Amino acid sequence: MAELRPSSRSGKDGIPIDWGSLAPLRLRARTLAEGVYAGGHRSVRKGPGVEFGGHRPYVPGDDLRFFDRRALLRHDRMMVREFETETDRALWLCVDATASMAYRSSRAPGAKLAYGALVAAALARVALSTGDPVGLAWLGGRGTLPLPASSGREAFDRVAGALEGAAAAGDASTDEAAMERALAPVARRARRGAVIVLVSDFVDLPERALSAFSALAAGGRSLVALRVLDPNEADLGFSGHVRLRASEGDVVVETDAEEVRAIYRERLAGIAERWSTELSGRGGRWVESVTDQPPADVVRAVVRAVAEARA
Amino acid sequence: MSFATIAALLVALLVAAPVAAHLLRRRQAEEQPFPPAKLVPPTKPLARRRSMLEDRSLFAVRALSVLMLAVLGATPFVRCARLGLERKDGASVALAIVIDDSLSMRAPLEAGTAAPGKRTKFERALASARELATGLRSGDAVAVVLGGAPARVALASTTNMAAVTGALDAIEPSDRATDLDGALALARELLRSVPHADRRVVLLSDLADGAPNAAPLGGGSDTTLWVPLPELEATGRDCAVTRADLRSGKVRARVVCSPEARPVGEGAGVISASAGRAVELKAEGKVLASAPLGPSVRAEEVALDVPDGAPEDLTVGLTPGDAILEDDEAPVVPAGGALPIAVVVDVASTHVATGGPPPIEQALTAMHLDAEVRPLPAVPDHADELAAFAGLIVDDVPGFTPEGRRSLSAWVERGGVLLLTFGPRAATAPLGAGFDPLVPGVVRWGPSPSQGADPGSAVFFGPSAEGLGKLSPDGRASFDPAAATNADMLARWDDGAPLLLRRSLGRGAVFALSLPLTVDESDFVLRPAFLALLDRFVGTARARGGARQIDVGDAFTFDGFKDVSIERLPLRAGEARQSIPVVEQDGRRRAVASLRGRYEVRLDGERAIRVATVPEREIDLRPRRVIDAARAEELGGVAPSIDASPYVALGLLGLVVLELFLRAVGQKREGSASTTA
Repeated sequence: MAELRPSSRSGKDGIPIDWGSLAPLRLRARTLAEGVYAGGHRSVRKGPGVEFGGHRPYVPGDDLRFFDRRALLRHDRMMVREFETETDRALWLCVDATASMAYRSSRAPGAKLAYGALVAAALARVALSTGDPVGLAWLGGRGTLPLPASSGREAFDRVAGALEGAAAAGDASTDEAAMERALAPVARRARRGAVIVLVSDFVDLPERALSAFSALAAGGRSLVALRVLDPNEADLGFSGHVRLRASEGDVVVETDAEEVRAIYRERLAGIAERWSTELSGRGGRWVESVTDQPPADVVRAVVRAVAEARA
Repeated sequence: MSFATIAALLVALLVAAPVAAHLLRRRQAEEQPFPPAKLVPPTKPLARRRSMLEDRSLFAVRALSVLMLAVLGATPFVRCARLGLERKDGASVALAIVIDDSLSMRAPLEAGTAAPGKRTKFERALASARELATGLRSGDAVAVVLGGAPARVALASTTNMAAVTGALDAIEPSDRATDLDGALALARELLRSVPHADRRVVLLSDLADGAPNAAPLGGGSDTTLWVPLPELEATGRDCAVTRADLRSGKVRARVVCSPEARPVGEGAGVISASAGRAVELKAEGKVLASAPLGPSVRAEEVALDVPDGAPEDLTVGLTPGDAILEDDEAPVVPAGGALPIAVVVDVASTHVATGGPPPIEQALTAMHLDAEVRPLPAVPDHADELAAFAGLIVDDVPGFTPEGRRSLSAWVERGGVLLLTFGPRAATAPLGAGFDPLVPGVVRWGPSPSQGADPGSAVFFGPSAEGLGKLSPDGRASFDPAAATNADMLARWDDGAPLLLRRSLGRGAVFALSLPLTVDESDFVLRPAFLALLDRFVGTARARGGARQIDVGDAFTFDGFKDVSIERLPLRAGEARQSIPVVEQDGRRRAVASLRGRYEVRLDGERAIRVATVPEREIDLRPRRVIDAARAEELGGVAPSIDASPYVALGLLGLVVLELFLRAVGQKREGSASTTA
């Protein structure tokens, strides 16, 4: 994966994840996952398979191997037997590790990246517990280790180890192709039926990020976008006159917090609206979270969104 | 660049220090990381607001504190603008403060054109007099003399400072001419009676008395003269409309402009203040006619046509303004013609070697006193013939017949002014001829035991009195003591005998001079005092005869009237009628016109308009010289001894307390604001 332009604030080695009270990741992820039951997720997609999926009227061109002679004799109607298609149930976690994800305010239990990693690890645990393989991809970051989709007993440790070893770095705000590069391995490897969860703050992604991500839905994949915001980011938690510097890009703003709070919230909601609309149109889902929320609620919300996306 | 300039610049920098401190303290808000910063709109107006001063009152107090600190530090260089007196060994002093209340003192203190609100020299002089009075101690004596013509005593020598303050408060500016010599003589006279060893005359004047080439002021006297304020010295240029007469449909305005002030001896060339100016005839604020002035006018009569249907109340004004605005406008009055003066002179005995009319006629013509001189062969015997004249001069009187005396005394009582000069003919008076009641008693002619007059007794002649010390008379007339009874002795010989007497008779006056007006008998007609005598004579004739037009400072006389009231009419819109007190002096009722303009007189119910005009000699802003000793620093000055530091320190302390209070209030306010938030 080509690296992003380093952020002016993240330094050469990136910003180590501020886990705060979210550590240790593995233990907390397991605990979280135990409280979440994903349930069976049979594919509703019909096609060649081993398990009978029901009848449907014959149409010319259907494979005659599946023509049900018995139904013709019994009901005098031409029917075709259907079987559930074998689908890829892999969960691909794409985690944003750009510099902005290292932000943690005094009101948050940990950095956004820590929170996102915890949710991602919990999701991985849930997926692995149902036998689905889990893959890992990164947007930005330093020391990040992409993982191919794999299942099995050691898969969770690999995912958790990769998440623990990451550091926030890189500036995606000006790199239009950053998202394509990050999702390229996922696009190549994820097959039809795979679920791709993008964990990001979505505040400084490039313009083409939405189109790049939503394009993944074309291959029969399910998309879920999870926005992780710090409490300060959610409500512009400042007062009076402040001078704010963005983590990515050279944006410095001097403003009166009370005066611009409504406009800020409006713009934040605008981003969510745009992503949500686009994803909904492609069967995907948009989930929002704030790092002072209980992570279990977020994991459940994501699992629910995944279920809805697969439905 | 002087040290004072550098110091002033440094003080200015220090005053700016609180602003700089505020800006430094203001600094930028502390930068905070915030990933979605690009979603936050900036608020520029607030940023600008931050750069503004947050607490103006606190800033003002701090700036003032810095300024006062600077002043406190510079106290050795700071002099209070207060006129102070240096005492000799701390002894008490007797001061005679001469305040010039003449027209020229209305000029602004700073050079340039006068304008409402500008501080005038008169105001500065009056303020300085108050400062002087404030600095006096117990035991000091003060007299106040006014220098406007004629010089007057506003307050005789007193140690009562409340009276001094009251007298100074009562002084008003006037349009009078300047009489510095008379004022100084009065001041010295007032100081003569005080027991103080240190006696000083303080002259607060612009020194423009119309005699720039006269002897320097302050010389020839043992009383110290102190002229403390050089900034009062007359400068600038001025033109004035001294009178405006309406004659046969034309207004003839006399415009007089001041010559340029230049050191004496630098040539007689003058540059007038008339360049670029015009004379305008106005009524009710509208300009009816206008005529430009010549580029170098000293004194000129300008004729302006009066349009048909013009209102009665006309004024003539000059435009644009100059150093003294008050003399730029004069009311138009119907002309009464020149003052008729009859002269009875024996041409044979009073001829001059160079030919021409007798000296008396030549002098009257040369002096431009606006008098019409009519030589007569003999004194008219009939009162009706005399009624045509306002004044009569009879030289070397041989005596009058009883009829002549009767008609003359009747004419004088009705306001005529008579000048009788006595010569050798007085001793050869025909039988039955005499001078009573004009000059009671017998007048004798004989050799003169003295060679000149006492100049100190001849204040009447003003600065010209100096020349009377040596008259080299061949003989002189002597009067009976009865002649001096109830008469003013205006000048006396150095042996005490009267040289010039003035007797008031009814509404008129009689001057009696003990010398004839001929060069054969004495040098009197060659002395400046001769011209001064004629000037005063004509002035008296104009005033006594109920002259319609007098110079400001002279008095309207109302002899023979029971009910007299006089009011000054407003000259400009917004002014009010001003009642003038009529006082009885020496048995004569008179009202002094101290301001130019029209005066409405009611004499036993009859209304008449009289006019007071600006004396022409006042329109000369060339200052008179003073002796160098009069400006000596050891006499005093602008209070070098007054230490302002205690007052400054007290003020500074007050400012510190004020700042503490403001800070406490500010903190309280901030505390309550944060609690509310």
